Amino acid sequence: MSTVVATGLTQRFGSEVALESVDLVIDGGEHLAVLGENGAGKTTLLRMLATAARPTSGSLEIFGLNALVERRRLRSRIGFVAHAPGLYPALSAAENLQFFCTLQGVAHARVAEVLDLVGLGDLARRPAARLSRGAQQRLAIGRAVLHDPKLLVLDEPDASLDSGAGDLLAQVMKGRTAVIATHDHALANRLCQRTLELRRGRVFGVPTRLRVVH
Amino acid sequence: MRSIAVAFAVARKDLTAEWRTRELVPALAQFVVLALVIANFGFQFDSRNAPAIAPGVLWMTLVFAGLVAFGRAFAAEREQSSLEAMLLTPASPAAIFAGKALAAGLLLVICEAVLLPALGLFFNVPVTFDVVSAVLLATVGMAVLGCLFAAMVARVRARELLLPLLTLPLWIPFIVIGGQAVLGAMGASGAGTDQATGLLIDLDILFVVLTSLTARFVLDE
Repeated sequence: MSTVVATGLTQRFGSEVALESVDLVIDGGEHLAVLGENGAGKTTLLRMLATAARPTSGSLEIFGLNALVERRRLRSRIGFVAHAPGLYPALSAAENLQFFCTLQGVAHARVAEVLDLVGLGDLARRPAARLSRGAQQRLAIGRAVLHDPKLLVLDEPDASLDSGAGDLLAQVMKGRTAVIATHDHALANRLCQRTLELRRGRVFGVPTRLRVVH
Repeated sequence: MRSIAVAFAVARKDLTAEWRTRELVPALAQFVVLALVIANFGFQFDSRNAPAIAPGVLWMTLVFAGLVAFGRAFAAEREQSSLEAMLLTPASPAAIFAGKALAAGLLLVICEAVLLPALGLFFNVPVTFDVVSAVLLATVGMAVLGCLFAAMVARVRARELLLPLLTLPLWIPFIVIGGQAVLGAMGASGAGTDQATGLLIDLDILFVVLTSLTARFVLDE
C-alpha cells in the first residue's frame, strides 16, 4: 500500500510559484531523496508531507487519509525534522524530549532510549543552548522519532552533522517510510531507493530508481 | 485529561525557561517599580485623593507590563522555531494555547506581587483582599486575550505595534470594571466592588471560552 499519494500539489506565494503540479507516490517502507538547488521547492514539498503547510491546490493522501483534513490524526504517525532544530535552549536535551513526550502522549521512559539512539546519552543534562549545532540537529532527529512515526520527513538533516550522519540517518530511517531533502547525492544514493529532482518547483525528468527495495 | 497534561507541560516548560534565563520577570519588576516612582513624582496626591489616583496608576502599569509579558509568550517560540514543532504533534492547539496563557498569566501575577505592595507603599492606599482579587480576576481575562492576539501577530514583522492595537480595545472592559472594583476597595466613594467583581468573573468566563474556541484556528495555520 502507498504511504503517500500526492496529485497536482501546487504552492503559490502571491505571484511566485514555489511548487507546481507535483505528482508523487511513495510506497510503504520506501526511502525517497528529494534533490534540487536552493529554492527548487524541496522544503515546500516536505512541509506539505509533514502537514506543516497546506498546498494552494492539489490533493494529498497520507496513510489513506486526506492530509489536508485529517492533519491532527496524521501527526502522531509523522516525524519531521525541519531546517531549524526548534529546540528550547534553556531546557536540557532530556527535558526537551520529555516535553515532547507529553505532547505526543509517549511515556518519558522513551527519552533515554532515543538519546542513546542519536548518540547524546552523555549530554542528556546539558542545556540545548550549550550543545553544538550538530548535537542540536541530532536532538531534533531524536525528537522526530520519539513517537516511533511510520513516515519520517527530513529536510536537509545532514546540514550540520559530522561524518557519522549517514549511519545515524540510516538507523532512524530503517523500517520507516522516509523522505529526505539533501544536496548530498552520495548520501541520497546510500540511504534511498529513489530520487526526485525538483527544478523551480517542478519535477525534473522521471523519478530515478536507484536500487531495488529489499 | 491529556489536554490538561499538555497545558501544564507547556506552562511548566515556559516557567522553567523563565526561571533559568530570567529574561522577563526582573525587567518587568523593574518596570513596575519605575512606573510607580514616576507616578509618585508626576501626580500631586495627598491622603484624600490617593485612593482615586492609585487605581489609575495600577491599571496603566499593569496594561503595559501585560503587553510585554504576553507579547513575549509567542515571539520567543517563533524566534526559536519551536512553535511549529509543538504544533506538529497530536496535542490539541487549545491545550497548547491554554498552557502558554497560564504561564504568561503567572509571570504577570509575579509582577503584580511586586506592584501591589509597592503601590500601597508609594500611595499609602490599602491593598486589601478585594484589590488583590480584582487584579487577579482581570489578569485571567487579560492573559487569554493578550496571548490570543500575541499568537496571531507573532509571525508579523510589526508585531510590537500590532499587539497593543488589537489587544487594548478588548482590555478596556477589564480596565474599566477592574478600576471600579479597585476604587471601591481602596475607599473611593461611588464604586460597587462586589458588582464589579461579579462582572469581572463573567468577562473571564466569556473570554476564556471564546479564546479556547478560536485558539485552534489561530495556532493551527
